[in-house]
Amino acid sequence: MQTTQKSRKKWNARNWTVFIVATLGLAYIVLFHYVPMFGLLLGFKDADYSSNLLGGLLFSDWVGLDHFTTFLKDVDFWDVMSNTLLLNLIMLLINFPAPIIFALIINEVKHMIFKKSVHVIATFPQFISWAIYGGIIIALTDQTTGIFNPILELVGLSSAENPVYLMDSQYIWAVIIISSLLKSVGWGSIIYMAAIAGIDAQLYEAAELDGINRWQKAIYITLPCIAPTITVFLLLTVGRLLSNSFEQFNSVQNAVNLSKSEVLATYIYRLSFTSRRYSYATAIGFFNSCVSLFLLIVSNFISKKSTGRGLF
Amino acid sequence: MSKAQSLSEKKRIRMTWADWIIYVFLALFALITFYQLWYVIIGSFSNGQQYASGGVFLTPVGFTFANYEVIMQDVEFWTAFRNSVLRTATGVAVELLFTALVAYAMCNKYLRCKKSYYWIFIFTMFFSGGIVPMYLLIRILGLYDNFFVYIFPAMFSVYNMIIISNFYKGIPDSLYEASELDGAGELTIWWKIYMPLSKPVLATVSLWIAVEHWNSYMGTMLYTEAGDWTLTLQYYLKQLINEASGVGSSSEYTDLVTAKTISYAGIVVALIPIMCVYPFIQKHFTKGVMLGSLKG
Repeated sequence: MQTTQKSRKKWNARNWTVFIVATLGLAYIVLFHYVPMFGLLLGFKDADYSSNLLGGLLFSDWVGLDHFTTFLKDVDFWDVMSNTLLLNLIMLLINFPAPIIFALIINEVKHMIFKKSVHVIATFPQFISWAIYGGIIIALTDQTTGIFNPILELVGLSSAENPVYLMDSQYIWAVIIISSLLKSVGWGSIIYMAAIAGIDAQLYEAAELDGINRWQKAIYITLPCIAPTITVFLLLTVGRLLSNSFEQFNSVQNAVNLSKSEVLATYIYRLSFTSRRYSYATAIGFFNSCVSLFLLIVSNFISKKSTGRGLF
Repeated sequence: MSKAQSLSEKKRIRMTWADWIIYVFLALFALITFYQLWYVIIGSFSNGQQYASGGVFLTPVGFTFANYEVIMQDVEFWTAFRNSVLRTATGVAVELLFTALVAYAMCNKYLRCKKSYYWIFIFTMFFSGGIVPMYLLIRILGLYDNFFVYIFPAMFSVYNMIIISNFYKGIPDSLYEASELDGAGELTIWWKIYMPLSKPVLATVSLWIAVEHWNSYMGTMLYTEAGDWTLTLQYYLKQLINEASGVGSSSEYTDLVTAKTISYAGIVVALIPIMCVYPFIQKHFTKGVMLGSLKG
């Protein structure tokens, strides 16, 4: 409009005010997001175990890509990597569609009071912290006082003398998948419920005249109509295939299940602050960030090519 | 009246077998979700020794407030509680004001090079330096083991900025132009016109921020020694739970309580504030999620 004409002119007070405000935001972003990116140089230097991290960043020797070649050959790293990737792929298959299915199911409920109360209850766990939720998981799976062993005993899968420990490495994936499902399915479905509520009722009415049943309605009308929303969330999920919530995993990890519950997020933390291998951990973190960004860009590209929709 | 309404509604609704499956499934789901909390609640009111032998699933055994008394008498609990409250209140106020202010500038027609700002902001949502560089920065800034480590690094959120900004864009231009003609400055327009009009989105965003602050413990773990002014409630609980599930615990407790039941009482106490704000979140969240969806 007029902005382009005005931009040739001198800056007035309004220009200055919004410039200063936006630049304050920029300054914050630069300080807390871009300045740490210089710290990534640690990954190319030898500052492991250094007592003065800043000194290590500035004065330690360059080692080039040594850390990268080391971890790419490290068996531990690949164990953690396969945990992260496999677990996230399973969650992509189960936990990603779950809120969509939940939204479709709850949309079929005609009693408003029932619908609302189920949804209020299902959404609540999202607001519980992982520290607390981890505590609840630990309590429920306890060998002596937990609820699962009596149930498993009824089915004959466990006994009082030899109770199953569900936090053990062989079961921990199931525990993680089911607990994150229970915690987030209600909240995750809100966005799809909102999308479903926005569908033009005429579409359903027209289809009803053609004698379509409920199942067909959900598959041929509702799902295609909420496809854009699904695409956006799928992209975000794919971009996070290597990222997990540190707090979620930290709160269920113990010495027994660590071999299966260690993911990149917690592995990097442990390397940095328990083993103090700052450079090595930074290198892995850098690799992780790059792969995540790459995944996001690729999936965005594919989505734009095939459906015409993308994040950016 | 509402009773009559729902009755007439019931008459109209015909239940098929598919409906019954859906209703039973959803009821079970809600029941399981509720039970997880109920399980901890009954544990927290139970006698520790009796509880330890197992089999407590529906109602407390040896009903007692002893677990809560232990928690309430713990000085660390109150320190952690105070810090978490302080952190949440300050964090919400600072982040909301700053983010809303930047959001205003970002949708103002007088801002030049808007696209460049936007991309510089957006990039940080998808790429970060990682935890060691962030730790180093916190050290350099002198924020290590300082209460403000919870506030300053979380002063601004790009995601929330976009959401608030999108809402601002929906406010009629005529309002802005009228106040511009009246000679109001940009900051006045923001504070007097845009802030009051965007109450719904501000409420939603501040609830999100509050929940995030209240629930987080990673910051305490990474950037503090969990001291007098930096111990947070979630971190305190984490320790309590670790202690309860660890080997060789529960030695120095009385007959009434064990580390396990005390940790349940801690969990319940920390859940109360979330339960208090939840009805408000519930009221606002659909709106908030709709706002979020504009982003895509």
